[in-house]
Amino acid sequence: MKKTIILTFLVSLMVFSFISAAMASAAAKGKIVIAQGAETTTLDPHKGGSAIFINACLTMYDLLIRRTWEGKQKLALATSYKSIDPVTWEFKLRKGVKFHNGDPLTARDVKFSYDRMRDPKTRNPFRVFFRGIKEVQVIDDYTVRVITKKPDPVLPSRASFAAFIVPERYIREHGDEYFAKHPVGSGRYRFVKWVKNDYVELEANDNYWGDRPAAIKTLIFKVIPETGSRMAALQTGEVDIATNVPPFMIPKLKKDPKIDVISGPSGRVIFIGFNLLDSEKAGPLMKKKVRQALNYAVDKQSLIKHVLMGSGEQLATPLIPVAFGYDPSIEPYPYDPDKAKSLLAEAGYPNGFETEFATGSGRYLMDKQIAEAISGMLAKVGIKAKLKVYEWGQYEKVRKAHEVEPLYLLGWGNTMYDADGTLVPLFISKSTYSNYSNPDLDKMLMEARYQMDPEKRKKQYEEILELIKDEAPWIFLYQQVDNYGVRDTVANFRQSAGSERMDCDNLILTK
Amino acid sequence: MQRYIIKRFFQSLIVILGISVIVFIITHLTGDPTDLLLPPEAGPEEKELLRNQLGLDRPIYVQYLGFLKNIAHGDFGQSFRHQTSAFSLIIGALPATIELTIAAMILSIVIALPVGIISAIRPRSNYDRLGMTFALLGQSIPVYWAGLMLILLFAVTLGWLPSTGRGGIKHLILPAITLGLFSTAAIARFTRSSMLDVLDTDYVRTARIKGLTEYIVVLKHAFKNASIPVLTMTSLQFGRMLSGAVITETIFSWPGVGRMAVQAIYNRDFPVVQTAVFVTSVIFVGINFLVDIIYTYLDPRIKYK
Repeated sequence: MKKTIILTFLVSLMVFSFISAAMASAAAKGKIVIAQGAETTTLDPHKGGSAIFINACLTMYDLLIRRTWEGKQKLALATSYKSIDPVTWEFKLRKGVKFHNGDPLTARDVKFSYDRMRDPKTRNPFRVFFRGIKEVQVIDDYTVRVITKKPDPVLPSRASFAAFIVPERYIREHGDEYFAKHPVGSGRYRFVKWVKNDYVELEANDNYWGDRPAAIKTLIFKVIPETGSRMAALQTGEVDIATNVPPFMIPKLKKDPKIDVISGPSGRVIFIGFNLLDSEKAGPLMKKKVRQALNYAVDKQSLIKHVLMGSGEQLATPLIPVAFGYDPSIEPYPYDPDKAKSLLAEAGYPNGFETEFATGSGRYLMDKQIAEAISGMLAKVGIKAKLKVYEWGQYEKVRKAHEVEPLYLLGWGNTMYDADGTLVPLFISKSTYSNYSNPDLDKMLMEARYQMDPEKRKKQYEEILELIKDEAPWIFLYQQVDNYGVRDTVANFRQSAGSERMDCDNLILTK
Repeated sequence: MQRYIIKRFFQSLIVILGISVIVFIITHLTGDPTDLLLPPEAGPEEKELLRNQLGLDRPIYVQYLGFLKNIAHGDFGQSFRHQTSAFSLIIGALPATIELTIAAMILSIVIALPVGIISAIRPRSNYDRLGMTFALLGQSIPVYWAGLMLILLFAVTLGWLPSTGRGGIKHLILPAITLGLFSTAAIARFTRSSMLDVLDTDYVRTARIKGLTEYIVVLKHAFKNASIPVLTMTSLQFGRMLSGAVITETIFSWPGVGRMAVQAIYNRDFPVVQTAVFVTSVIFVGINFLVDIIYTYLDPRIKYK
């Protein structure tokens, strides 16, 4: 009798495990390895500060709102949201969502997460993006309100940035340190293990709330810092996706029928700034016509084609197309050296002038080479810009002290897909990153910052961009293009418009 | 002897203390870590708060004394980036580095000693020329280039070995060759010259006259005496590999201490840099200390006072 019971138990256990294994494999199978140049520093979603960190978190955690690869907002944990007064945003939450440990996800977790990422004790590098929040209120289990100190039209974008939702009970019970080592989210993939310095392994969360579970059983983020080795690992098939393919490798990789290179514009805008705070040093650059002349003198298309080997897209203004406030009707300054010369003559410099030009080296794609090429183009219209190449730390220092040379090359990322995040830090008077001052522009920027009506706000940015283009406080150049090497084992990989984020949601295994 | 060991031990401590001062000052000269820890959008308010939390707002000598005091208690501080113990990060990466170093060392010795000895027995022969050309190349080819070429040939073109990462024996071969290349060449050259010196001495001649076989003469009489400088060289190479596997680890994405240290330098993650340098210098100094003691056993004529 005893024997029969044990036997029955064992058989049913076997059958059960077969069934569950079969179910799991129907939902997700195979393995995809993604190689990146660096490793995430943490898997606690409120303690990291890099794009690589965000890529890992996006798979394991959910946000109220997500971004699609096209840069559009998409409801995730929120089923709807609205602004109920200028300083209050209300979010309705999805019901039935569970964390990987089985805890239900409710409004309390959202409040806990938003409070945690704003708490100075958490040491969240991204805290600055959430410091405008005054408090978060739990209205009922599935309704939260976010109260801001001032009207904040960008709040939904903040919610879709790094505002990951974490399980309150689990963290309170186990503490931060344990949570970082055994992270629990509600995302499409769940944490398996992290071999420091090597790889992070995730597996499909079969109980995911979304329209479909993950298609891939195992997802691995591997770190291969050396570009040549990363490309080799892609060629041998050890990895399925490799980030940051250098432009010169693209033709070679594309020759391999099993590898495709998928490219698209990143969020990084490259420009030449003018340091206009020291009028003596800036000299002729204080005149608008001279600054416009420099914009005509630089052949952006040639830079993109010959120096970047195609990995750039020209911009008319500081904004990238996916950012709120972008105005496609504004045309870029064309390349016209004759016009540049005549503008210089009108401004009183028919024979050009001498100035200085600063750049870092190796920070952005071909940055030093771009600066050299621009210096050559300026020489053609009579402007002798002496190039100075800085070590990055030193470069940061002189720029932040506003003591940088009259011309300087720099890049800027747009994290919030919004005009405010680029225009305010880079153009408003007295900002660390601005070397330009215009009280009219300051006023316009502040009005747009707190404008809750999107249509009105859009109009305001159109005017602002017109003004900036005309005032030419920069030589407007291009946005960098990101290149990913993808093997034919993977389908549906898309480069995220205007971002280094990787959208692993739609990845499918083909083999 | 005992007094010698105690004296050498305290000398080693002073060396390590000196290294800690230098590392501390140099890391702090590289700039403000909060520039890299926070996004550019962060304002002075966030920066000040973080500097205070990391203790970077205190005068540098106060920071250094605090650092020493904590080390005495076995606390190497929290990584700025990882927000976990810097010591556990480095210790976690150490096995990978040791594995790679030992593999490279075995490879070096197995190749270098025979090449060096045979070259010395038959100086200026074709064999000698081949061996020494190989040694010259091994010492002059940049590690970086050699590593990438090995990957291109054996991983990409032939597909015999994996290109990167840590795993089984297969993963170990290319990085071990790359890391061991320089040492192989150095030890081979050193063995050759050391053997040539010894083969020319009276006692070797005496051994030959006695009618001993060449095999015994070379390995038992000559090599044993030639091995002391070779041992010094080899131990130095071992220390160099342990602390200097940075480039090899980077190319092969080998999760060791060198790579962790380089990443920490880029990130200005001071506690991790300091711990990495501290741990590797303790190992390096420790190896030298051990070798000094081994000498006395190898050659009883060496007496320390």
